[in-house]
Amino acid sequence: MRIAVVGKGGAGKSVVAGTMARLLARGGDKVLALDSDPIPGLAISLGLGPLDTPMLLDAVEKDDNGRWRLKKGIGAARAVQRYSLVGPDGVRLLQFGKTTASGLKDFMGSVNGFYQVVHRLARDDSLSGWTIVGDLPAGPRQTAFDWVPYADKLVLVVEPTWQSILTARRIARISRQRSGVEVVAFGNKLREDGDTDLIEERLGERLGGSLPFDPLVAEADAHGKALIDHAPDSPAVHAIEHLIDAISRRKVSA
Amino acid sequence: MKIAVAGKGGVGKTTISGTLARHLARTGMPVIALDCDTNPMLGVSLGVGPEETDRLGTVRQGLDTGEVEHQPTTQGIVETFGTDAPDGVRLVVVSRIDNIDPG
Ligand SMILES: Nc1ncnc2c1ncn2[C@@H]1O[C@H](COP(=O)(O)OP(=O)(O)O)[C@@H](O)[C@H]1O
Ligand SMILES: [Mg+2]
Repeated sequence: MRIAVVGKGGAGKSVVAGTMARLLARGGDKVLALDSDPIPGLAISLGLGPLDTPMLLDAVEKDDNGRWRLKKGIGAARAVQRYSLVGPDGVRLLQFGKTTASGLKDFMGSVNGFYQVVHRLARDDSLSGWTIVGDLPAGPRQTAFDWVPYADKLVLVVEPTWQSILTARRIARISRQRSGVEVVAFGNKLREDGDTDLIEERLGERLGGSLPFDPLVAEADAHGKALIDHAPDSPAVHAIEHLIDAISRRKVSA
Repeated sequence: MKIAVAGKGGVGKTTISGTLARHLARTGMPVIALDCDTNPMLGVSLGVGPEETDRLGTVRQGLDTGEVEHQPTTQGIVETFGTDAPDGVRLVVVSRIDNIDPG
């Protein structure tokens, strides 16, 4: 299963992606977590704490035209094996680093290497046994610019606000222009009884699951901890177990 | 006065920008609200309405059709590609990603 988690900023993408990755790993999967957001998120929600490290810098070189390429002999499998970081429950994380005062300028090698690895992943049979969970930046940009060629499922995280719903609608529309991707909408931060209906009606999609507003989720983030470590028995973790269940028809538990 | 609002997603940039623009307009200032997000939502917080916000034309579309070339001044661009929001705020959306990138 290859999942990319998308939605508006603050919708809960990183919490959902990190918790899914941990749960799937506990269920026995070999899990690769991919963070293509230049803003911190996934490392924290995986339980690695704040981690800005740009990865894959040693995996790339410049060609004669000054363009970044992966060094000879570095395919997707080797890139994962050598350059990813192993986190709790054995989840492996690949990321291209986080924005600094000078933007991403100092590690464009990492950004380009990441983009190329992600494209090779999609075609590399030796990684076919791996489960992938990608955490994307806010908005439709990476979906439009082909940053998730590996994904067969797009989890659209959507809050019951117009901005979040419009964003989700735009992303769903764009992703359906590519074939072979299943879109699963997931409601987050629901507070009232009517919220599910409100989202479904405005989004024009049924929800594959939803998560209530849960102070424990925000609390985990405030402590810099993974939700699954901070509150393994919370309604939020159970809701994410149900989401996995719904999209893979497989039971996992914290 | 020119103000840019920045921060992580979901922290309230759009809400603060929209409300600030409305406040300033109420004090009598002419206000241009410029939405530079490729996922533009400023119309929602200005009170233009969500569905309307999703349909607004953008400067980018004007570039693609060549209309921007006929508007050599900023004033012209604001008039041609802007939309009236409440309190007399003029909303200008730079671009919106609606489709996959063909290349
Ligand atoms: N169901 C929820 N209840 C309460 N707070 C939540 C919930 N989901 C997410 N949050 C909080 O909202 C903030 C944004 O979540 P995050 O996963 O970083 O969003 P994104 O990655 O989409 O920008 C975090 O502080 C997180 O703890
Ligand atoms: Mg995030």
